[in-house]
Amino acid sequence: MTTQAFLRAACVAAVGAAFIAGGSYSPLAAADYTRYQTYDEMTAALRDLAKTHAKLAKLVEVAKSREGRSVWALEIANPDGRPVRERPALLIAANFEGDQVIGSALALYVADQLLTGYASSPTIKERLDGHVFYVIPRANPDGAEAMFGAVKSARKTNAAKFDSDNDGRLDEDGPEDLNKDGVISMMRVKDPKGPYMIHPDDPRLMRRADAAKGEAGGYSIFWEGTDNDSDGFINEDPAGGVDLNRNFQHQYPYYTPDAGPHMASEPEVRGILDYVLARRNIAAILTFGESDNLVSPPTRTGAHAPASVVDLIAFANQSVEGARTVGRFQQSQQFSFGRGRGFGGGDDAGRGAAPAGRGGGRGATPPATTVAPADAEYFRTISDKYRQLTGIRATPATRIPGGAFFEYGYYQFGVPSFSTPGWGIAQGAQGAQDATGAQAATGGRGAQGGGVPGGRGLGGPGGAAPGGDAAESGTAAFDLRLTRWMDAAKVDGFINWQPYKHPTLGDVEIGGFRPYALSNPDASKIADLGKSHTEFTTYLASLLPKVAIADTSVKSLGGGLYRIKAEVENSGFLPTSMAQGVRARAVAPTMVQLGVDPAAIVSGSPKTNFFPSLAGTGRRQTYEWIVKGTPGATVTLKAVAQKAGSATATLTLK
Amino acid sequence: MRNPCSIAARLAFAAALVIVPVSMGAQQPSRAAIPPTQSGSDPQFKVRLDFNRWHDVAELKADFEKLEKAWPKLLKLSSLGKSHDGRDLILMTVNNPETGAETAKPAMYIEANVHGNEIQGGEVALYTLWYLMENYGRIDQITKLVNERVFYVVPTVNPDGRDYFLKGTGAGSRTGHVPVDDDNDGVADEDGDDDLNGNGVIEQIRKYVPGEGTLRKNAQDPRILEPVPPGQTGDYILLGSEGADNDNDGRVNEDPVGAYDGNRNWASNWQPNYIQGGAMDYPFQLPEAKAVNDFLMSRPNIAGVQSYHNNGGMILRGPGAEWQGEYPGADVMVYDELGRQGERMLPYYRYLVIWSGLYTVHGGFIDWTNDGLGMLSFSNELWNGNQYFNSPELQQQQRDPNSPITNRVAQYYFDDHLEFGDQFIDWKAFDHPQFGKVEMGGWKKLQGRVPPRFMNEELCHRNMAFSLYQADEMPLMKSGATSVEAVGGGVYRVRVDFVNEKVTPTILAKAAANNVVRPDLLLVEGKGIEVLSAGWVANKFRPGATELIDQPDPKRILIRTGHAGRSTRTIEYLVRGGGDMTVTYDSLKGGKAVAKVSVKPAGTGG
Repeated sequence: MTTQAFLRAACVAAVGAAFIAGGSYSPLAAADYTRYQTYDEMTAALRDLAKTHAKLAKLVEVAKSREGRSVWALEIANPDGRPVRERPALLIAANFEGDQVIGSALALYVADQLLTGYASSPTIKERLDGHVFYVIPRANPDGAEAMFGAVKSARKTNAAKFDSDNDGRLDEDGPEDLNKDGVISMMRVKDPKGPYMIHPDDPRLMRRADAAKGEAGGYSIFWEGTDNDSDGFINEDPAGGVDLNRNFQHQYPYYTPDAGPHMASEPEVRGILDYVLARRNIAAILTFGESDNLVSPPTRTGAHAPASVVDLIAFANQSVEGARTVGRFQQSQQFSFGRGRGFGGGDDAGRGAAPAGRGGGRGATPPATTVAPADAEYFRTISDKYRQLTGIRATPATRIPGGAFFEYGYYQFGVPSFSTPGWGIAQGAQGAQDATGAQAATGGRGAQGGGVPGGRGLGGPGGAAPGGDAAESGTAAFDLRLTRWMDAAKVDGFINWQPYKHPTLGDVEIGGFRPYALSNPDASKIADLGKSHTEFTTYLASLLPKVAIADTSVKSLGGGLYRIKAEVENSGFLPTSMAQGVRARAVAPTMVQLGVDPAAIVSGSPKTNFFPSLAGTGRRQTYEWIVKGTPGATVTLKAVAQKAGSATATLTLK
Repeated sequence: MRNPCSIAARLAFAAALVIVPVSMGAQQPSRAAIPPTQSGSDPQFKVRLDFNRWHDVAELKADFEKLEKAWPKLLKLSSLGKSHDGRDLILMTVNNPETGAETAKPAMYIEANVHGNEIQGGEVALYTLWYLMENYGRIDQITKLVNERVFYVVPTVNPDGRDYFLKGTGAGSRTGHVPVDDDNDGVADEDGDDDLNGNGVIEQIRKYVPGEGTLRKNAQDPRILEPVPPGQTGDYILLGSEGADNDNDGRVNEDPVGAYDGNRNWASNWQPNYIQGGAMDYPFQLPEAKAVNDFLMSRPNIAGVQSYHNNGGMILRGPGAEWQGEYPGADVMVYDELGRQGERMLPYYRYLVIWSGLYTVHGGFIDWTNDGLGMLSFSNELWNGNQYFNSPELQQQQRDPNSPITNRVAQYYFDDHLEFGDQFIDWKAFDHPQFGKVEMGGWKKLQGRVPPRFMNEELCHRNMAFSLYQADEMPLMKSGATSVEAVGGGVYRVRVDFVNEKVTPTILAKAAANNVVRPDLLLVEGKGIEVLSAGWVANKFRPGATELIDQPDPKRILIRTGHAGRSTRTIEYLVRGGGDMTVTYDSLKGGKAVAKVSVKPAGTGG
């Protein structure tokens, strides 16, 4: 914290101390949107918002991080009227990747705008009266804190301890700021066996030499640092363990170091899952992160747009490939006993035949991995509006979303779920389609065998792409677009290579993309981006489904019998459940129940009815009952939707 | 403290005093010369427990406490955590502290009862502890096993389900008790089964619908309701299990307690509910699964796992789903060896792969312990229906459709003649609030899934024996022959054999591929020793190449692939210098083996 910030915080603290609920001491302070905020500053801003807008905002703790920081959620709604948990909700969550701090700033900005705009903006008032916003601005507070350390390394991971190279030593070989410039960057080293060459179009960049064209490499690339454990790899096991956007359950990248020991292994992830699962009224999810499906929506067949990989980062990551395979031996023991044939002789097919069984469960259905075509249309409509409102046409680097939260949100939680970096680079700099088209997002995310501990916790977006993808590209086409954009926009995003005498490698050059420059715009952009994202957020919330009892009639048939007819309508834009919500049985069907004793229903629909989904924009579902009753009696009809609120109507038998 | 063995010996000797004169007559040897262990009489058990009844959770805990009190040195009772309803997940640790620290020895983890109604595994767990303790110091193999290994025994990982099954009416008790809203009405667990007639049993409901039904009474035994052949009509339909519309929504029994599967909440090939019913929302969401996993992850010395289920008579291994792919060949051979041995120890049990032999399971427990934790894992399905009439002659009779024990009526015959009608409740008329005039009756909860009580002890013993066999075949690293030879220039060739006599490798091939077990380490210590190189000796009895190990630090070699089962490997070091040299093979799942050699440069004497 700067001295100035500290003084300001201390002043406010004297006023706000009475409102501080539990936890560690954290003063109140209005958010400063001209720079990125530390955990303490962000926490103070959240407390300040919750205090200033005590009626509309509630601050709750979702999880405690590995280092004891709180993952906060700010819950925003006008609590008068229908209970908040029964309203359609929009969840905004950000900063799963530790280095994507812009998301945190935007989420906070949007929350701030919603609260301060309630009094002046009829649109915002309507949203807060009828909906609820859950805002988790910083999912990974431990990871984000690395941005504010003395030495900055664009770390994505949380603070879990993880033996990345599985050598029995924990976090023993992290990076060092050798040239004391305050950041961890890269080293390029002349190496006759190195596969990389200086890019002919931009000598700052490197690309893979193409032997077929007679090119020779001559360079190796590493992250800045030394081989602390003398194992032959530089920086293969840094502090910081799990990338939270690799730790969720959809297309989880099993047994890769950044993904953690298993799905949902991290307290932050578990806390967020429990929080979300306790709020089934969440009808849409907007995340800020290093994947994108808003600027480039899924195709009409539901395939994800491809990722944009930064080759320079991928190359540095490849330098530690193989750290997890040192010590694999053929089991050529000199003798084995008690057996006629080799015992434990490697991974051959064994005896081939599994023990005989009765047939069992062949042909299990695999989970969905593409957006349902019916849903893709909604994604595309919303994407159009996103580009229009924000003006973002080209994203910075993006990555393949296996294990990401927003993917869980759609594929398993069953709601429209979005991810955007929240900022853009100059149009024309977008490299996703043509530059790295080989990296189709649906392929090659596995790295199932061995895994790549590559640059874990280091590097910018795109850096954690599985090795196989990067190996396929290597042309640095997207890197080139990035440097051209930086030059044109005067972004200080590349540290020019400077000579350095490395203790073991000898003459090297240190430089490369500046940490955080690939995942965050200059802080001066926060306010403008925040405004347009507030507009998008209120737009998105306006689309949420909404059930209503549109039309009812009661007709006496004589003899104490009445014919009741009711039409249930979805007046929102989105359906009461996405197709994936139905397919995954994630969204409860909407219940339509007539409040009579089941025995009083003589004919027609049962007392309790369900429909799996109802499209929006006024589509209706009709029910009819014939009930026995006394004249003048009243009957309550209710429609209860999980994501679309509920409605009741009182009918009089006459 | 008095020595319990000597008390037992004295009692056994007292018994011999009575018996010997009768049987041996005048030729009797002197009484004092008969070693008590050969008396033929049983030892006097220190703790008497029942194995012909089913223990609820409190009773299990009480018996575990008795055992701990009787053998405080070897047993430690603790809890892995709490179930949803607040019951302890009881853990007994068997460890002899005199032979090493708990986490330094290879351990076998034995659990049971993840499905609440699969209770007999809890009895096997109790029996195992009791048997190990009573026979420690009496049977050499048992003594050795307890001294070499550690056992973690959890009799029920679903105590809520166990008590719900045993103390309640027995309905809906596979699941645990985390509430789930099955009928999507916003309220959880509000409409389960009900014991409408108050007889303590959830029965089946059938309705008499002459000429309109799908079922009929069996001609041989009218208690049996059977489907009618195609083209005919029956007189009965079944309306589900005993219960009413508790929440007045027009439906009966549509939202019982829980209703998920605690054995689908694990992190290998976990799949969401629509792919794998009962999986819950994420792995280890269930408090019981989380507590067990936290424990397993804190004990990397666990090399073997057994999770007892019922029923069907199976010795199951993973994978649970075909798309996971078969285990690596090296692992399959190990599993096959153990599984086929199990088939010999457990009559009527078959060694099977889950997906091909049973059904597809995503996110099952032993998939996780094998794939994610590198523990060799079996799951036994306890009790097989063939054990009711367990002789070749009787099974021949069962195939005769006219026999009184032919398959369709065999259960009824067994109940009538062996259980004296204890298990079947005859159909009786009942006026149901929603269904009108119906009949209720059928089997009690204990029939079928668990053995008749009088057959339980054999089930306990045989399954225990298989798990003890598995425990005995966990890896156990030992050092073997060593040699030191001068090769000139002040350099010595040091060779050390390391041996794993057991079937199981220190690291399963699957675990090595997934990098989920810390690699074995080959460590060298010795003040005056400089290690120039290290390498594997292909065959120490033949001259030939040594496979040099290309790692930067020859004093700390990583062995990611571990040490195979039933094998010896020779490591060769070229060293310079002299003095004592210690070579340690350090494995997490097979323990440590230490070899000490003395390198003596010429002229230093000794």
